[in-house]
Amino acid sequence: MDTRTTPPGRRLLAAAALLSIAAAACVAPPDLDNAPGVVRAGLYTEPQSLSLLGKNDRNSGIVARLVTDSVVQYDARLELQPMLATSWEVSPDGRTVTFELRDGVRWHDGAPVTARDVVFTVEKSREPATEANSFLSGFQDLVRVEALDDLTVRAEYSKPYADFLEAWTVPIIPEHLAGRDPDLLKSEFSRRPVGCGPFRFVRHEPGQEIVLEANDDYWGGKPAVEGVTLQVVPDERTAYQGLLRGDLHLLSVPPDIWAEAEATPEADRLGRLLFFRLNVWYVAWNQDGSHEAFTDPRVRRAMLLALDREPFIEKVLGGLGKAAATTYHPDSVWADPGIAPLPYDPAEASRLLDEAGWRYPDGGSVRERRSRPLEFTLLTPTSRQEISGRIAAWIQQSLAEIGVRLEIETLEFGAFLERRRSGQFEALMASLTFTPIPDQYELYHTSAAEDGFNFFSFSDPEVDRLLERGRQTFDRAEREAVYHRLQRRLEELQPLSCLFHFASPVLHDPRLRGLQPSPIDMWRITPGPRAWSWEESGPGP
Amino acid sequence: MNGPAIGRPARRIGTGLLTLLLVTWVVFLLSHLVPGDAVSVGSGEESIGQRIPPERLTELRALYHLDEPVARQYGMWLRDIVRGDLGRSFHDGRPVSEKLGERLGITLTLNALSLALMIALAVPLGAAAALWPGSRSDRWTGAATYALYAVPVFWAGLLLQIVFSVRLEWLPLYGLESPEARALEMLPRIADRGAHLVLPVLCLSYGGIAYLSRFVRANLTESLHGDAVRAARARGLSLGRLLFGHAFRQASVPMLTLAGFLLPGLVGGSVIVETVFALPGLGRLFVDAVFQRDVPVIMGLTLLSGTATLAGIVSADLLYAVLDPRVRRG
Repeated sequence: MDTRTTPPGRRLLAAAALLSIAAAACVAPPDLDNAPGVVRAGLYTEPQSLSLLGKNDRNSGIVARLVTDSVVQYDARLELQPMLATSWEVSPDGRTVTFELRDGVRWHDGAPVTARDVVFTVEKSREPATEANSFLSGFQDLVRVEALDDLTVRAEYSKPYADFLEAWTVPIIPEHLAGRDPDLLKSEFSRRPVGCGPFRFVRHEPGQEIVLEANDDYWGGKPAVEGVTLQVVPDERTAYQGLLRGDLHLLSVPPDIWAEAEATPEADRLGRLLFFRLNVWYVAWNQDGSHEAFTDPRVRRAMLLALDREPFIEKVLGGLGKAAATTYHPDSVWADPGIAPLPYDPAEASRLLDEAGWRYPDGGSVRERRSRPLEFTLLTPTSRQEISGRIAAWIQQSLAEIGVRLEIETLEFGAFLERRRSGQFEALMASLTFTPIPDQYELYHTSAAEDGFNFFSFSDPEVDRLLERGRQTFDRAEREAVYHRLQRRLEELQPLSCLFHFASPVLHDPRLRGLQPSPIDMWRITPGPRAWSWEESGPGP
Repeated sequence: MNGPAIGRPARRIGTGLLTLLLVTWVVFLLSHLVPGDAVSVGSGEESIGQRIPPERLTELRALYHLDEPVARQYGMWLRDIVRGDLGRSFHDGRPVSEKLGERLGITLTLNALSLALMIALAVPLGAAAALWPGSRSDRWTGAATYALYAVPVFWAGLLLQIVFSVRLEWLPLYGLESPEARALEMLPRIADRGAHLVLPVLCLSYGGIAYLSRFVRANLTESLHGDAVRAARARGLSLGRLLFGHAFRQASVPMLTLAGFLLPGLVGGSVIVETVFALPGLGRLFVDAVFQRDVPVIMGLTLLSGTATLAGIVSADLLYAVLDPRVRRG
């Protein structure tokens, strides 16, 4: 043996290098000149379930909307449009509704869609094991649903509910396939879902992608794109690089990447879309009496008056937000256009606190009343973008200027929910998403403090009365009047301090056309993805 | 020859199994002690229309047996394990064995490749440094490998992606294979998969090179300056013979200890690399399961890594006896 042995590593390394070069030669970068046909969209998390009906996280909902249809569905302006139903009739007492279904609609396996399937879906959605949480409250008062014939469904409610149609956006699933296993979430169907929607399920690679192809037999006409592939890319930056390279065609991005795309020449060619979803960042003040300050509407109002929101939106949120007035989103048809967000007015805030009896002690910087200082703990959940931390710090700073001291406590989301449920908090900050209906009974009604979303124990007889009336008023103009009055009352009482509505920025391949922004997402509306198309000629610029 | 020789491995395996049982119980207990459960955590985004009424929450908890005492739940889990059933994920209802299975292959491949790369680079570097300690090359490789060790993985990953994938377009950016890979023949498809592994494997291995090469250097230095090697040197043995015939052999016991820890390392996923390169491995599965309070998946992974750790330690332990007569004699 001689001493000049080549280290074994060098040979291995050389082999690895050769292999990678050979491989690289085979893997051409994505073609940016020819229209791809299939839309590849990036998702940051994998849809929880492919059952179409159960587990209603946002991405499961996207798959459901692509693969199957519902009885009615929202359009981009948030009006409900007939889908599987062609018409419906509500009885004079408002307790019975009869749907006429569209004739000739077929499941992807060729079987006809019938009233039985609709009845089956509604019944399935009410089984606990299905976990169809989005549709639970809508079908709560449903006493009977039956198929009168192949194309007629009748539903009977125990009491009239003006927003009953919302629940009929439930994705319909085929009884002859989804009914085979008793538990939908664990069924074979949930591995290979079959629907009647514009896209057909092809395959699912767990943790990687879900492949869907256009359904040429769709009752509304074949989609213009050849298919949709949903790719799971958990890292936002990787997904953005994928968009720049052309691996992906469509991606929702966080504010920092949106800002980066504005400053990067390579991103110039990308299409941009900005829309507001129905969500609000709020501070909830616990009004169960555990902190005496928060039962006084003047104090709650003063807190919001002390926040200078416009510069924060510009500097920290990169312009991707707007100041909120109430939980009624300005893009919702039910919002009262006469209500504006509270202005920044620290002088008025101080006056209100003085009036409420919270005054500066001699030489002190924190207000007191009967020698109790005005201080509290603000609870927030950790968030993906750490945005809640930044908002909390800004609130802390702003409130210090009107003599209010607060501590910030940040908890992991599950732990946060547990604390909120137990009611052990003084104030907390989080975000909340709404459906397009105006009914916010679950949030504000006194009875909802027990088993609803009114975890902050707000109670006002006037608000209760308006919420009850709104639920039973079917006439559109009359409803609008009720909900406008409600919003004015909410603005006056400030049960929640509504901080911001966040924008949802989307970057996309410039050749992808027909993307329609909507307050409930571009995926879940009608026509939505069915109307997307590729621009015929070469690349954009 | 008989009694002690058979008794020892049996004893080691016995204590190993007991340890494993204890580990699973502690993890089970901990995953129930954290606030919130699979039912209450939900999907992370709160929607007013998606609120689950309290009576429905109770029904759901009963469905997943979350309303039972923890000890009883653990008993049920253990009973199923004995029957070879890892249960179903609370998150998506799929069998845990299936979820682990489809990701284990990816994690094993990644780890085995990066381990091979690490050894291929670190052993020669360490040996060279041990042969000429204090030389210029020793100092430079030391400094260089430590510098690499200090580079954060998420940053390195991003940098590699930007250079090799976005700018040079040599390598794919993320994922296991290209969208069009299904249409390829077998060989190009393997090449495509291989190309997808290059950057993740680089990311996984560069940090370990410093550690491993210093480890090799320290152990070899010690044995190279021992009496046996000096004697061999005096007999005029070549450097290669010296290194492979004597020094490595003497250093094998401490290296075996290291190997014992490498086995569990093979099934341990790397959350950062898997996230940055969008690879569905065990690391991401574990982190997601913790946030979703998906107890069956957490337990399945605990069992997997626990078994691998104990198997590594026990087999290293038993192999000492083979390599070193002193251990055998007690």
